[in-house]
Amino acid sequence: MILQGIAASDGIGLGRAVCVREASLDYSNVRYSDKETEKARLQEGIAEFSRRTSAMAAQIRERLGEKEAEILTGQIAMLADPYMRSQMEEAVEGGSCAEAAADSVCTMYAGMFACAEDELMRQRSADIRDMRGRLLAILLGEMELDLSQLAPGSVLVARDLTPSMTVGLKKENIAAILTETGGRTSHAAILARALELPAVLSVPKALEFIKDGDGLIVDGGMGEVILNPDERTRDEYLKGQEALLTQRALLAAYRDRPTVDASGKRYRLYANIGSAAEAEAALRAGAEGIGLFRTEFLFMNRASLPDETVQYEAYREVSHTMKGREVIIRTLDVGGDKAIEYLNMEPEENPFLGHRAIRYCLDCPELYKVQLRALLRAGAEEKNIRIMLPLVSCVEEVRSARKLLEICKAELEAERIPYDKDIALGVMIETPAAALIADLLAREAGFFSIGTNDLTQYTIAADRGNAMVEKLYSVFHPAVLRSIRNVIAAAKEAGIPVGVCGEAAADPALIPLLMAWGLDEFSVSTASVLSSRACIGRWHESETAKLAQEALGLSTAASVERCLRTAVGQPEGGEFRRSHRRQEISRIEGIQGEI
Amino acid sequence: MVSAKTKVINPQGLHMRPAQVFVSAMKDMDCDVRILFNGKSIDAKSIMSVMLSCIKQGAEIEIQCSGPQEEEALMKAVALLESGLGDM
Repeated sequence: MILQGIAASDGIGLGRAVCVREASLDYSNVRYSDKETEKARLQEGIAEFSRRTSAMAAQIRERLGEKEAEILTGQIAMLADPYMRSQMEEAVEGGSCAEAAADSVCTMYAGMFACAEDELMRQRSADIRDMRGRLLAILLGEMELDLSQLAPGSVLVARDLTPSMTVGLKKENIAAILTETGGRTSHAAILARALELPAVLSVPKALEFIKDGDGLIVDGGMGEVILNPDERTRDEYLKGQEALLTQRALLAAYRDRPTVDASGKRYRLYANIGSAAEAEAALRAGAEGIGLFRTEFLFMNRASLPDETVQYEAYREVSHTMKGREVIIRTLDVGGDKAIEYLNMEPEENPFLGHRAIRYCLDCPELYKVQLRALLRAGAEEKNIRIMLPLVSCVEEVRSARKLLEICKAELEAERIPYDKDIALGVMIETPAAALIADLLAREAGFFSIGTNDLTQYTIAADRGNAMVEKLYSVFHPAVLRSIRNVIAAAKEAGIPVGVCGEAAADPALIPLLMAWGLDEFSVSTASVLSSRACIGRWHESETAKLAQEALGLSTAASVERCLRTAVGQPEGGEFRRSHRRQEISRIEGIQGEI
Repeated sequence: MVSAKTKVINPQGLHMRPAQVFVSAMKDMDCDVRILFNGKSIDAKSIMSVMLSCIKQGAEIEIQCSGPQEEEALMKAVALLESGLGDM
């Protein structure tokens, strides 16, 4: 049985399930003794809570840093609030036992925070619920979960992984982490990445399907969990795990090296990411910047638009993580096919040619301005954020976006809120129209980034997800390659930087071609950073020029591909099939996949 | 009673951490400390009240202190807010 969740931390883990079930916290049998005793119990419980929590905070601070520990010190500060205290005491005076008093007051505050107008405050509601559960457990004398004694090879299965649960966790005993809730930015995800443990989150009903001791395979890169796998599958994944580890070790040598070709020419090698938390992994993988930050994830899995603070937080986090390195952030790229419910987008006959991406955003200026303001503010400190417009098809779109950006700047100026005055505005080239007028767009844009996946699909007019026309879809089609070459030439002519942020940037057969045409920046998935750096390093300028000339002299996609694959020593096209599989997966994942 | 107007400069406003810094500094003061914001009067010694007020970056607020240590409390409050509460 295969369970699907969110890919939160890369790697493959095999082991036995350890299901973490929370205590019942039922206090209906607790008898109210008398006012003084209940008050004393309450006070003792709070004191014990603070003692345990500060000890946990100290441990977490040491292992994961200040930011993680703050969640816990915040709980101590909240429980010390004079009003919260007196409300609990009043409840005791009114005849509630210590547990009922703690429960009702915490629940009330959790409810108040859940309705706060600021999203950052709404998130505190979860902290108060965690605090409530732990305080009740202390009052009831329940054992707190102790995960420090797990057997080696344990796969943790929990509803959620709270900071308090993870304190005693020993990395060497954990094979993987699996939860029913949480996303890429949740505590569990951050923890898993920090400990380099594979993790799949938000697996619906995991605790219903999985029993203690069940055999599990957790593929953190794909977001897949295989329950009770047969021997063949197990062996396959064991091999995969080993190959992954070997490949990692081999490529590790390229991590701290600059990206240079054999003739000494320098290139920029960036990573594509889909959430703020992935920036860290990109940096660890050796990326020199972020070439594509997809912002859709911020808008998904929620009931309403993320406000300016939430967006600002996410962009600023990436900006800080990448300190001193460029971060190209693509504004909201949605359409009828990857709809976000609360946006109420009309279903369209032909969504790929419809009201999507920049077209939609420019028609909803109030929505778009929130994102632009958040981006401007997020770049205030590091000045490393660049704004990229998706699916541009004409010059007017760039002008309208710039006009909105200027309005946002004026607003922030008037409100005396710091922002990046010189933020660059660039264009993602992914429509044939944009490719053909690249010279005109280059006059208005701060940079170009070519999205090869959509450019290929639109140029050939073939849906790569439709099995009947899939064979037409090829980035090696001379029309696509000529487009890419022309876009790079137009950017060079205008003196603006140009990158590629589609699958092509990591394809060993296309890398030499892009190098020959003078591409400045390659932006690839985090997993492909080191292999791309190794690939670029193998080529000399004179060889790439020769190869480019030969390939562009051919007239069919198949012959171009054969020529390039032979030149790079992959006559069977093994790499192509792999990257093709990645595309299929990204289609399944929809919006959160590659490009 | 003494009071002063100031502005919140923290990028994320008075969220959990800066609120903690501010409230714990005010707690030790032997006087009443209130934040006037958006027509409300908020007890600066209660972290829950401060956080629930959702005071954001750029907000104009007034600090009011009354009691034996009012002068000292006001100076401390304004200095802390202007320094960005260790969040800059």
